Amino acid sequence: MDAVFSGLASGFQVALDPFNLFLVLAGCFAGTLIGALPGIGPINGVAILLPIAYSLGFKPESAIILLAGIYYGAEYGGRISSILLNVPGDAGAVMTTLDGNPMARNGEAGKALSLSAVASFIGGTFAVVLMSFFGPALASYAIHFSPSDYVALMVFAFASLASLVGSNPVKTLLAALIGLMLASVGIDANTGVARFTFGIPDILAGIDFLVVVIGLFGMAELIHLVEQQAAGTLRTLKIDKSFVTMKDLAFTKWTILRGSVIGFFIGILPGTGASVASAVAYGAEKRAARDSSKFGNGDMRGLAAPEAANNASAGGAMVPMLTLGIPGSGTTAILLGALLLFNITPGPLMFSQRPEIAWGLIASMYIGNVALLIINLPLVGLFARMLTIPQQFLTPLIAVLAFIGVYSVVSNPHDLYMITLLGVFGWFLRKLQFSLAPVILGFVLGGLFEDNLRRALSISGGDWSILVTSFNSVILYALALLVVVVPILVGRMRRGRSEGESPQAPS
Amino acid sequence: MADRIFAGVLFLVAIGYTIIAFTVIRAPFQYDPLGPESWPRILGIVSIPCCLFILAKPDVSSLGLPAKTWGRLAALIVMLLVYSYLFQPLGFILATFAFCLALSLMLGARLVTGLAFSAGIGIVGYFVCTKLLELNLPAGVLTIFR
Repeated sequence: MDAVFSGLASGFQVALDPFNLFLVLAGCFAGTLIGALPGIGPINGVAILLPIAYSLGFKPESAIILLAGIYYGAEYGGRISSILLNVPGDAGAVMTTLDGNPMARNGEAGKALSLSAVASFIGGTFAVVLMSFFGPALASYAIHFSPSDYVALMVFAFASLASLVGSNPVKTLLAALIGLMLASVGIDANTGVARFTFGIPDILAGIDFLVVVIGLFGMAELIHLVEQQAAGTLRTLKIDKSFVTMKDLAFTKWTILRGSVIGFFIGILPGTGASVASAVAYGAEKRAARDSSKFGNGDMRGLAAPEAANNASAGGAMVPMLTLGIPGSGTTAILLGALLLFNITPGPLMFSQRPEIAWGLIASMYIGNVALLIINLPLVGLFARMLTIPQQFLTPLIAVLAFIGVYSVVSNPHDLYMITLLGVFGWFLRKLQFSLAPVILGFVLGGLFEDNLRRALSISGGDWSILVTSFNSVILYALALLVVVVPILVGRMRRGRSEGESPQAPS
Repeated sequence: MADRIFAGVLFLVAIGYTIIAFTVIRAPFQYDPLGPESWPRILGIVSIPCCLFILAKPDVSSLGLPAKTWGRLAALIVMLLVYSYLFQPLGFILATFAFCLALSLMLGARLVTGLAFSAGIGIVGYFVCTKLLELNLPAGVLTIFR
């Protein structure tokens, strides 16, 4: 317990440094803006801005504080376009449209925006508080993990990915395999043998992480935006004078709390981020409500639950990233890759060896959540006006930012072709209902997975049974089995009762 | 059908990947039980049945895009490739100006606003990035700005 408070104290020292404080605020502001723009979500925002943040030459803790601010700021801002435009800013905000937009159409836009801001704040803060206690505890446990335990952990991560993300588990698995295969290109660090390089010198050191991220999440998004290009401009609903009251908060307090708990724990599961968390929270709230007839027509609970959950999941997703080096969502996979670019390997040792990063990030999230609440209540009109930026100007801007980012880091014109090609590939994956998050998770985890497998087998001298001998690994395999089997059983049971009203998680 | 074509291409890639993993990759000498070839072999062997599964049970029949959209997307890709080609030799300012103008006009901007927007992004973007943020961008033919 003492360690938590002294850790937090040192973290606040880092986060309250004027420059870092500025970055927290800048990240939160930029994040809210990115989240509010229809079509661009947290993952695209972080992907597009990552190379620029990297080439600015910040210290690693400053860069990660900025990027994390963009991440949870965007989870915050996603609600604005959901409520006012009925267009979700990203997959995590889809559930917010169900009740948020009807509320706005009923003349309660101001109330919907302020209620969801408070729900987001509570969800986010709840997650950071849990993270401050859970993180170090999990890290001190995971410090004893052997390579074979890590292999089991990876199996668990990919099992929960396949079972909970996307509509088709085989496609999700294949997407993760594509990521793993891309990661296997380049010179093998153990033996110096070149793999799948076909004599091309540019990829001897492996395919550049930044190029993959920008291609799959920046350029594919750009192509998607051009494809979706609708005639005419979107019309936003007016923000009226209605505001959330104490009575509304008292009415939704348990909803918000339940949403926060659900969001945090789903966020911790590897690979499952805001979209799954908000869908589960919405479904649970609807089933728990005594009178669920108003859901879908502007029920406050239907707005508060997914908003609390998607912000809590952002904090939850950081826990495994910081303590185990296994990202809890697609966006944290990019943050993990960002740390790797700075030559920092997240894992159980981070809390003791690089406390300024682990604790600095956690402390900055306390500050960021308060800052987000403050900038979101009075400034929501400003962000709402951003929604009307014409698409014909926003779209080229995304391409220019992606090009600046890649060129300023790599300075190699070939990589500009590479991101365009990866963008086309990513767009096809998206159109064919593969999720892109597993690809990036596979890409980030590929090296770690292989290294641990090889290390485990060299410890045992080639005996594969080492993988299933330790207590931790058996538990993890059991959990992996559970996470695959339970959703199937639940689905069968529900179909048996022929209700079929639970919302499907968007991929 | 779209699913089948894509899965078919992935299947061929997976086959190729697996063949390379089994034949080409070999360490000259090694002390560990698993060499550089083992991991790719595992990945290849797992991915082949995944592709076959999608080939057998596709769930997206067509992309459902009208021909006009395909045309717009093709134009976008050409613009991006031309932008990539011109980025270094022509320099950031001119290449960005041309790219932004072409794309915003295609997406329905009026000529005057499009011109103002593209010139603004090119010039302001260049100076903000190179002078303020100290990022590396090509000056290209406008060598006076270097």
